[in-house]
Amino acid sequence: MEFLPVLSYATFFLVFVGIFAVMALGLNLQWGFCGLFNVGVAGFVAVGAYTSALLTGPPEPGRFGGFGVPILLGWIGAMAISGIAAFIVGAAALRLREDYLAITTFGIAVVIQLVALNAEALTGGPFGIQSIPKPFFELLGSGLAWNLAYLGIVACVLGLVWWALERLVASPWGRVLRAIREDEMAAASLGKRASAFRLQSFVLGCMVMGLGGALYAHFVGYIAPEDFLPILTFQIWAMLIVGGSGNNAGAVAGALIVWAIWSVSGGLLREVLPQAEQARGAALQVVLIGVLIAAILVARPRGLLGERASVSRHAKDQS
Amino acid sequence: MLQLLADGLIVGSVIALGAVGLTLTYSILRFANFGQGEFMTWGAYLAVSALSFVLAMTGGGVMEPIGPFSFGWQLIAAMIMAATLTALLALLLDWLLFRRLRHGNAITLVIASFGAALALRNLVQFLWGTLPEYYTREIQISLRLVPRDVMGGLRITPDQMLVIAMTMIVVIGLHLLLTRTTLGRAMRATALNPALARVAGVDVNAVVRATWIIGAALAAIAGVFAGIVGQIRPMLGFDLLLPLFAAAILGGIGSVWGAVLGGFIVGLAESFSVPIFGAEYRAATAFLVLIAILLLRPTGLFGEKP
Amino acid sequence: MIPALEFNAIEGGYEPGLPILRGASLTVMPGEIVALLGPNGAGKSTMVKAAAGLVPIWVGTVRLNGRDITATPAHRMVHEGLGFVPQTENVFTNLSVLENLLLAAALVPKARRGSLDRVFALFPDLDRLRKLAAGRLSGGQRQMLAVARALIASPSVLMLDEPSAGLSPKLVGVVFERLRAVRDAGVTILLVEQNVKAALAIADRAAVLVEGRERLVGRATDLADDRRLASLYLGGGLEEA
Repeated sequence: MEFLPVLSYATFFLVFVGIFAVMALGLNLQWGFCGLFNVGVAGFVAVGAYTSALLTGPPEPGRFGGFGVPILLGWIGAMAISGIAAFIVGAAALRLREDYLAITTFGIAVVIQLVALNAEALTGGPFGIQSIPKPFFELLGSGLAWNLAYLGIVACVLGLVWWALERLVASPWGRVLRAIREDEMAAASLGKRASAFRLQSFVLGCMVMGLGGALYAHFVGYIAPEDFLPILTFQIWAMLIVGGSGNNAGAVAGALIVWAIWSVSGGLLREVLPQAEQARGAALQVVLIGVLIAAILVARPRGLLGERASVSRHAKDQS
Repeated sequence: MLQLLADGLIVGSVIALGAVGLTLTYSILRFANFGQGEFMTWGAYLAVSALSFVLAMTGGGVMEPIGPFSFGWQLIAAMIMAATLTALLALLLDWLLFRRLRHGNAITLVIASFGAALALRNLVQFLWGTLPEYYTREIQISLRLVPRDVMGGLRITPDQMLVIAMTMIVVIGLHLLLTRTTLGRAMRATALNPALARVAGVDVNAVVRATWIIGAALAAIAGVFAGIVGQIRPMLGFDLLLPLFAAAILGGIGSVWGAVLGGFIVGLAESFSVPIFGAEYRAATAFLVLIAILLLRPTGLFGEKP
Repeated sequence: MIPALEFNAIEGGYEPGLPILRGASLTVMPGEIVALLGPNGAGKSTMVKAAAGLVPIWVGTVRLNGRDITATPAHRMVHEGLGFVPQTENVFTNLSVLENLLLAAALVPKARRGSLDRVFALFPDLDRLRKLAAGRLSGGQRQMLAVARALIASPSVLMLDEPSAGLSPKLVGVVFERLRAVRDAGVTILLVEQNVKAALAIADRAAVLVEGRERLVGRATDLADDRRLASLYLGGGLEEA
């Protein structure tokens, strides 16, 4: 077996795992630790990606942006704008019951997609944004070396996000968050402060998702509205479910497993199906993945590394 | 202006019918089914295949239109078949997936329905391809009902008028079912209090099955209506999902007439938003309606307290 | 004579590992009114809910007129002849009075189906209000409807969970007087109650449930004078007589 192509593929694969893992960690903060059901993940990822692309990219006639800002600032900007978007959505929607929050966040993602697709002067419309700058590109050019370097960057970012979230969750702030998730009554007694915690969790989670979007944009170099469809939301959810929610390790493990399944199934179908059927094959792949996720959901609702709910354990001890 | 009104009512009919199914399943099964849109898509596509089947079976390759409409009895037969098959699809989905998740977290059902919707949508693309389909190639001439100088005039096709009328007939039929039959009362009782319903003798599992059947059949019919007045494409149901939710929540979850009214309101809002925001942003109007009702009156117009 | 309703050392609860009923036994003979008393948390409600099929029973059996109904699903109980009136949320507030009754009647086979006329004869107020949504009824009227709903299925045994809860003393009197009429019409009654005085006034026999087990059983008149009754409620044990 050739070493270089395998290494190249593995690098490519792992970069995506890392990017998805970042997004999953953001979602985990919202769902796993705070019980917030965000079905608009793709929307916030898109906001981050587009923000960073517009800030750092070259100017394009007839379109906003292209300020050529340094990439790192672009990423910070991505987090900031995603955070602001999350704040606006959250302030309005978080006091709703969880299924209404789901529908509202879904709606947000649809609207964001619509804007991305139609507001050509802002987002480049269906053509999206090209020539997004890649870090260290002048040094390394394209090819395996650059991919490896980007993998390093993603790994660092992932590590940083992980560390920050673990610290956050272990802190007093994090403990309150879990209490809110486990016990609505306790949450109610905290009153206004519970909703402040929820909003903070929601905003932080969306900022992380925005960062993931930016990481994606600067890896691929080109984004379009069709990169941020509901299927992305489902993929991230699947990663969290498979890995086990409430659990940062589970989020990362889930990202690895689900992306592996996705890539392998995609590759297999590409091999097996003739050229003319490729589009149908892609559709079939989604069906199979959906079925697989559903099967896991039914068989092991807590995921592979799921956290045991602390409340029921307590209750058992009393009998 | 009148034209916008008519367009709003036509779109509103389809939304209303889909929303009625959604509000029933939402109130009785107690979760927001993101797959309701896909039942509409499947209904529309199954009718396409059923139509070919019926035409093949009855020897003729061409569907003779009935009266001023664009379709013949074969489409009606195909619609009935499609509704039945979609109902079976819903039952299968419940048996495979939703039934097994009912005991756990309610939100897991929503996630599962989101995933199931994704799978169903892609299965449609896999089975029928991505090109738009039509039930008939007949070109319908729209009738000028109102001259141009009266509020902009009104042109409407017989098909479109029929869709509005048929929607009302179906909803009235459903209303009678819910208020005059034992099944209907059992469904309403279960929506309120499943434990009490059991105590009273209601087989809640049977009610659940009936709910899926009715909800999916209504969605399928709505999908066929959408295909009659528009084109049949894989994103048909997904694009209607947000309007469906907006309509059901606006009307108040559990209220059939609320969903109908909500559907028409959303349809009209979308229609009237076109001259202001442009046709591309129609879908955003549904979202605005949704946000407005959630901020102002989350229980909806006719909703009961949760 | 076969007991109308019989609990044989049942253990059960809402969650596995958290038993509320710990070997409770009780026998209700046909034609009796039996009151089930006990302090809060004793498991009285749980006991009747378990018989109704709403709470799992892990050990022991429940028999209705000799038939083992321990494993019978909740919605089949009306077919067996066991009626249950829950304490709260015991009518369908989104249905009219008439619809509540029509639904309950339609859910049992013709042989069991009581007549609306007879039910309205027992509860004339409901006849007057038949078109009203049950949610608009007063507390007392709701209680009547809840009992009427159970009765129209012609149960041989009727269980009620604290029918006096939330009612004024006068209404309690009215409801209990109706229950007497129901018993006189041939229905056996098991009554869970917090209102000890009212319950003992109409009951033939009574049992006191404490921590999931019956502790004191006897004739209502005897129990009314029994000092041990008070001590059980106040948490003291049973002093040996």
